[in-house]
Amino acid sequence: MTARLLFRHETILAILTVIALFVLSMLSDKFFTVDNLLNQGRLMSEVGLVALAMTFVIVTGGIDLSVGSILGLTAILFGIFWQSLGLPIPLAMAAAIASGTFAGFVNGLIITRFSVPPLIATLATLALYRGLAEGISQARSVRGYPEWFFFFGQGEVLGVPFQLWILGICTVIAAVILAYTPFGRATYAIGANETAARFSGIRVDAVKLWIYTAAGFMSALAAVIFVSRVTTTRSDMGTGLELDVITGVVLGGTSIFGGKGTILGTALGLILIQALKNGLALSGVKGDGTIVVIGVVLIAAILIGAIFDRNRGG
Amino acid sequence: MGEDLRMTGPAVELRGVSKAFAGIRALTDVSFDVRPGEVHALLGENGAGKSTLIKIMAGLHQPDTGEILVNGTARRFASPRDAHAAGIATVHQELLLFPELTVAENIFLGRAPKTSLGTLDWTAMRRRARELLDILDCRELDIDMKVASLSVANRQRIEIARALAQDARVVIMDEPTAALAEADVQRLMDIVRKLRASGVSIVYVSHRMPEIFALADRVTVLRDGNLIGTMDIAAVDESRLVAMMVGRAVDKLYPARQGQSGATALELRNVSYRTVIRDISFDLRHGEILGLAGLVGSGRTETALTIFGITPATAGEILIDGKPVAITSPEAARDLGIAYVPEDRGSQGLIRAQTIADNVALANLRRLTRGFLMDAGKVLAEAKKAIEKFGIRARGPEQIVRQLSGGNQQKVVLGKWLATNPRILIMDEPTRGIDVGAKAEIHLLMRKLAAEGMAILMISSELPEVLGMSDRVLVMNSGRIVAAFDKAAATPEAVGAAMTHSAASRSAA
Repeated sequence: MTARLLFRHETILAILTVIALFVLSMLSDKFFTVDNLLNQGRLMSEVGLVALAMTFVIVTGGIDLSVGSILGLTAILFGIFWQSLGLPIPLAMAAAIASGTFAGFVNGLIITRFSVPPLIATLATLALYRGLAEGISQARSVRGYPEWFFFFGQGEVLGVPFQLWILGICTVIAAVILAYTPFGRATYAIGANETAARFSGIRVDAVKLWIYTAAGFMSALAAVIFVSRVTTTRSDMGTGLELDVITGVVLGGTSIFGGKGTILGTALGLILIQALKNGLALSGVKGDGTIVVIGVVLIAAILIGAIFDRNRGG
Repeated sequence: MGEDLRMTGPAVELRGVSKAFAGIRALTDVSFDVRPGEVHALLGENGAGKSTLIKIMAGLHQPDTGEILVNGTARRFASPRDAHAAGIATVHQELLLFPELTVAENIFLGRAPKTSLGTLDWTAMRRRARELLDILDCRELDIDMKVASLSVANRQRIEIARALAQDARVVIMDEPTAALAEADVQRLMDIVRKLRASGVSIVYVSHRMPEIFALADRVTVLRDGNLIGTMDIAAVDESRLVAMMVGRAVDKLYPARQGQSGATALELRNVSYRTVIRDISFDLRHGEILGLAGLVGSGRTETALTIFGITPATAGEILIDGKPVAITSPEAARDLGIAYVPEDRGSQGLIRAQTIADNVALANLRRLTRGFLMDAGKVLAEAKKAIEKFGIRARGPEQIVRQLSGGNQQKVVLGKWLATNPRILIMDEPTRGIDVGAKAEIHLLMRKLAAEGMAILMISSELPEVLGMSDRVLVMNSGRIVAAFDKAAATPEAVGAAMTHSAASRSAA
């Protein structure tokens, strides 16, 4: 039992994270400070929110490449709803989030109703939603939001960034759903053996539809926080977000073939990446150097996981 | 009939071959030989060891003991490549062709003629392909077509041509007619005769008696991994062969019935699913085991899938306890009290990477909760109950299912479904691929469940199992129910005849 706990991917990852934090704090005295760490938490919130939903998606054996585009589309719609249609901010926010959620729902429909592989379906909507965002924005950015709106992206509650609270609450909810509810069990079952799940009376299509819709919702939520943090809306927001998200989830030990993965792992994966990015930058490593390190860490974590997995037998 | 004297020795001979998989004996001391230019039929129930035997000949398995002789010299086949080199080719049941390549490319894949420059010699390849297909009387088959667009019968001819392209002296055909229409069966039989005339030997695996008597020179019967006998075809008749296949005294091996049938649990009225199954009508009573017999592809599993809502009925009516119901999905079926223990444990029945507890909970997630959350205590209790009730030999509920033996895996599937408290239990090949001891336990369990009032529909390809377990027997053939027997009338001969009756004789009747 203890050996099994020790060799879990999450344990390896936690050890790696501690080592990284330790080494990075040696390299730069600006790294391991409360202010810097909280600020890093602020910066990883958008990727983190989307990664929670992406963990569910990948556990079912699927993928969602369109999350960055949904984020961009939601951001633009939010700006347009507020500036051009004159909706009050709360209403514009709600309408934009609803639209982003609907975009995720459409992904789910394409995947379940027409049996399109998730990779293809969301590759198509990646282009489609980004194209819509650019068409709607006409290359104009939206700025001049009222001061109070910046609270979502820049404010603090009890000294902790607002969005970090949101991320924390969502992480706990996601972890509970995935680990402890019938829905979570169904998610694992679908990823491990979709046919057997169907033959066990699990509503496979409904579960998948919910999950892709949730991915849309989380991307939309991240969009609003993103706009509030950077005070501007542009149509290219969230470009490449899907890669950061998938990197975090996979580093967190979620199998790209489905059936395996935890929210805890995803959280650790995200923290490790953010720590490396920030710590290396503070230590004077150039941007490309950082990417190389992240690539190496990703490969190493997966190899270590695979080796222990094999030793454990199964 | 004694050894008749031939000029030449056997083309291939197996001497005293034994083979076990994970401790389960698949073949015990079996000797088998194929003479040049003969059609040698290989007969036996499912699990009798036929596939193991032909896989050893094809180099896919290596025997634990015993030897393989080709033209009198001992050989070792480490891989199918060695068997090919020795002139043995297999036409597989599931045809192993590359759908996106052309007919000619498939025939010569891996051994295509080369030009002096080392590139593919397309002209020679196409010419040779044409010749081979002409030899097989397939003049209309276009060698430049992609295989994906061809019928099963044509693909099979390509596989045979491929065997000839390898200069095979022995061609193994594994249930070649299982998926063929009657006209194609006739053509295949012509091809087999042609091959024999040219001196090629054929090992012909089939369940279908008419084909065996029309084609074979000799026949070998296997049962439970043992050689029962090899005879000249003239020395046997159909009932003798069935008796050799079935062998044991059927009723002794199976638990006796307790209790009587109760009210009708499930009734089908003219149920069809597209053209796969047509006009299926029967009723299933509480406390009875209804056997559904038929050859592979006769529509038995498809009937089960329709009742279970995987492929909802496209016509007809299904009634449960006398009330019409709409079964549009497996969850609807489950909620109506129907459980389905599927044919393919690994892909349909279980999530093998997960634990026993996870699997037992799978069909029952909503009920094993407290509030919104899964109740780990209830899940564990349910798993322990299943382990105890079915005698699952495992370290505990947390053991990964993949590590269990086939019989114990099957009990996990049963445990999963009985946890839903079903009233109708469909069991598709309930004892396929499990050892004799576990088999008897599952049979006993089925009897016990029936005695408690469960209505059981059992699908099985093993005739003795159908006859031994069922209170009544239905026989399917080509998507329809063609015969019904009560216990007394269900003799191996009668049921076997209804199963194997070829399409031609039925349509003539």
